[in-house]
Amino acid sequence: MASPPNAESRPAGGGPWGLALRQLRRNRVAVGSLVLFVLIVAFVIAAPLWANQVAHTGPNATHTLEKIEVGGKQRDVVSPDGTPIGPQWLGADGRFFLGADGRLGRDEMVRLMYGGRTSLFVSLAAALITTVLAVALGLLAGYFRGWTDAVVSRLLDIVWAFPVLLLGIALGTALAVGGLQIGPLSISSGSIWIPILIIGFVYTPYMARPIRGEVLALREKEFVEAAVAQGAGPLRVMAGELLPNLSSTIIVFFTLNIANNMLLESALSFLGAGVQPPNSSWGTMISSGIELIYSDPLLTIIPGTMILLTVLSLNVFGDGLRDALDPKSRVRLEAHAGRFEPEEEPA
Amino acid sequence: MKKLGALLAVVALAMIALGLSSCGSSSDKEGGTLSVSFSSYPETLDPQLCYTVEGWSALYNTYIPLLTYDHAEGEAGSEVVPGLAEDLPEISDGGKTYALTLRQGLKYSDGTPVKASDFKAAVERTFKLNSGGSFFYSSIVGAEELAAGKAKQISGIETDDASGAITIHLTQPRGTFTDELGLPFVAPVPAGTPDQDQSANPPPATGPYAITESDPGQSWSYERNPQWEKNNAKLMPDLPGGHVDRIDATVTHNQATQVNDVEQGKTNWMFDPVPPDRVGSVRQRYEGTQYREVPSISVYFFWMNTTQPPFDDLKVRQAVNYAVDPAALERIYAGQMKASQQILPPGMPGYEKFELYPHDMAKAKKLIAEADPSDRNVTAWTDSLSPNDEAGAYYQNVLEELGFSVKLKALGADNYFTVIGNTSTPDLDTGWANWGQDYPHPNDFFEPLLAGSSIAPTNNGNFAQIDIPSLNKKIEELGREQLGPQQEAEYAALDREYMERAPWAPFGNRTLSVFVSSDIDFDKVIWNPTFSGDLTSFQLK
Repeated sequence: MASPPNAESRPAGGGPWGLALRQLRRNRVAVGSLVLFVLIVAFVIAAPLWANQVAHTGPNATHTLEKIEVGGKQRDVVSPDGTPIGPQWLGADGRFFLGADGRLGRDEMVRLMYGGRTSLFVSLAAALITTVLAVALGLLAGYFRGWTDAVVSRLLDIVWAFPVLLLGIALGTALAVGGLQIGPLSISSGSIWIPILIIGFVYTPYMARPIRGEVLALREKEFVEAAVAQGAGPLRVMAGELLPNLSSTIIVFFTLNIANNMLLESALSFLGAGVQPPNSSWGTMISSGIELIYSDPLLTIIPGTMILLTVLSLNVFGDGLRDALDPKSRVRLEAHAGRFEPEEEPA
Repeated sequence: MKKLGALLAVVALAMIALGLSSCGSSSDKEGGTLSVSFSSYPETLDPQLCYTVEGWSALYNTYIPLLTYDHAEGEAGSEVVPGLAEDLPEISDGGKTYALTLRQGLKYSDGTPVKASDFKAAVERTFKLNSGGSFFYSSIVGAEELAAGKAKQISGIETDDASGAITIHLTQPRGTFTDELGLPFVAPVPAGTPDQDQSANPPPATGPYAITESDPGQSWSYERNPQWEKNNAKLMPDLPGGHVDRIDATVTHNQATQVNDVEQGKTNWMFDPVPPDRVGSVRQRYEGTQYREVPSISVYFFWMNTTQPPFDDLKVRQAVNYAVDPAALERIYAGQMKASQQILPPGMPGYEKFELYPHDMAKAKKLIAEADPSDRNVTAWTDSLSPNDEAGAYYQNVLEELGFSVKLKALGADNYFTVIGNTSTPDLDTGWANWGQDYPHPNDFFEPLLAGSSIAPTNNGNFAQIDIPSLNKKIEELGREQLGPQQEAEYAALDREYMERAPWAPFGNRTLSVFVSSDIDFDKVIWNPTFSGDLTSFQLK
């Protein structure tokens, strides 16, 4: 029978993490995607540098009546009929590199960079919340089974039953008006933590259920039985034995989740239920750019492209990471595709 | 020669035929369905409650008051003419008694006869519903007692259903009362109409069109009032009956989509002005054939709540006036705004241009430093319709430059004025607003917006909640008098006096636009200064 691909090409030694790293490095597409993502992160991190040293303006500062010098001539940032200045690239020493964002005359490049910080921060923070909730619920449900599993699983099913976007919009709209008040926890309606908590919450089932499934399988393994036999309590078993074996799954899901979160944040902000103005995120920039789509389509295309590149790089990298950390998933996929017959696992 | 002669005759006949067919009137048709779009649903379709331009445009040809406004443009459109009443009122007793007679034989669209007592019920209904327009009628004897819950009806209105006689007694003369009798607030509706917002189930009509379907927030439709042609039109021959059989009004939030729909003929008319982004191209392609601009008698401003910090301090309010630059807002409104820093707009009697606060950010910051407000956390409100939302963002920027920490709340236009008109809404510090004339009298810009008596718990129009007894008295005194040169000069002085107290930072007067599809007879469309597009004037080609 044929062997699974790459099985013979995997070098020995280096531990599982070393092996995974070498496997990942061979995947040039995944590495390229990682590089792209790192560049995007570097781009948004450089926002204050660009704003202070090049553009000399903040993301929310308006310049409706100002003039800038371009090629020795004075030009209106916003003309009397309301037309914003287009991309100047380096023609104005970096000011209004991508032009003005509309009749308020805000620097589009500065807003793009700061907006990216917001979008990435929201996506990352929400992914962390999802991960913490999902791991906790997945571990509890998978380890204890019985009533605990039944209750947790049904709660997850309830949240999962709602389409993510609709649930996000409903929660976002409600909380955008009144804010969030749970006991001592109080978050104002315009706070960035509202969309973070909403996104983190709605995606929890998508991660919790696979983790629960893995925990159900892992708890039957001998090392878990051994730990229990040695007197380890549930917490020790979950944290000390199960969690390390879930790490590769968690890392992969975390990476892919950031991409999903970015899309959801963009959608919520576009619809006015996410990041609130005047703060910019790539989603709010698309929303405000839509009004000028006929006269200045770049205002919509540019933030949309940034979302596309970020999500694509994370998804491709995440796929590569999954292949590197869990080759069996690739074996299962390729066997399913009929490319080879997998070896039977020893009894 | 014979052949040439015949050819010339044929050509001449063809040219005559072409000339006749190109004349608007011969190619227009009666009937059909008119499709119109609004970017927001009127706050209500209840005539006693409605107080927005969208709503009045929607109700102008449905609920006819005793008096109405002429179906014309410009100054002519601000002239009060008889509606359901036979004639303009006879005013006696030093201006305190108004006598009118209801035309006999009028019917609502459901066939119910219109009675004189229905007028009284309509006036009472404005108070029972706590309407934003009720203050116009608070000088009627007994009105305040009804509003206070001390009476069950307004004693100062006498009606006789048999003769149609209506007599209104006022506590004091009111120079604007004839104009106010022409507003939809006091349009008669059948007795027994519930004292609740009837937007979902609008009352029967007296005008040429009745609202037959209503889906609040989404759409509404009109059909010809069956009683108009059968009955009411003969009794009110001077009022137009409309050309189309049906009107479908839909809410299209995206204004660019509205423009596209008109260009493609999916919609015949968009109520809202063409958005700034599209003005240039629409003007270039359609000016004179499908598009024109119309000045509006309006004022756009940022109000400041004078009852709570930090805007209870005059220096802070004056600082804001120095800081807001109307020239910037002209550009934000894409040239469809004329800079102004006063209450009365050009075109309104009593308008005299002045500029108390020429833009000076340094002076503004100095005033803030002198005032040193302890509360620098401010909530600014705006509606989410472009470019009003950008005006709000600009205003937030200005306030932040003055040292305030500003949270900007942008609300949908459907309920913006309902929210900021509710004085119990939290954090009503400052925000965007606008006001268009109800009638061509300067009192219309002072009493509803700045008089202490107009502050109401809901449907409040005095967003600044300013209440200065000496100025209230001036408004009241001037409101009693008939408008003449002396009164106009006093209104001009009142404008300045209010601006010295700076309850608002006004920034301009808007230019609006009419944009119709190619299958509408553009030359016939009437833009009324109070009721905007007159639906009876739209005719399909």
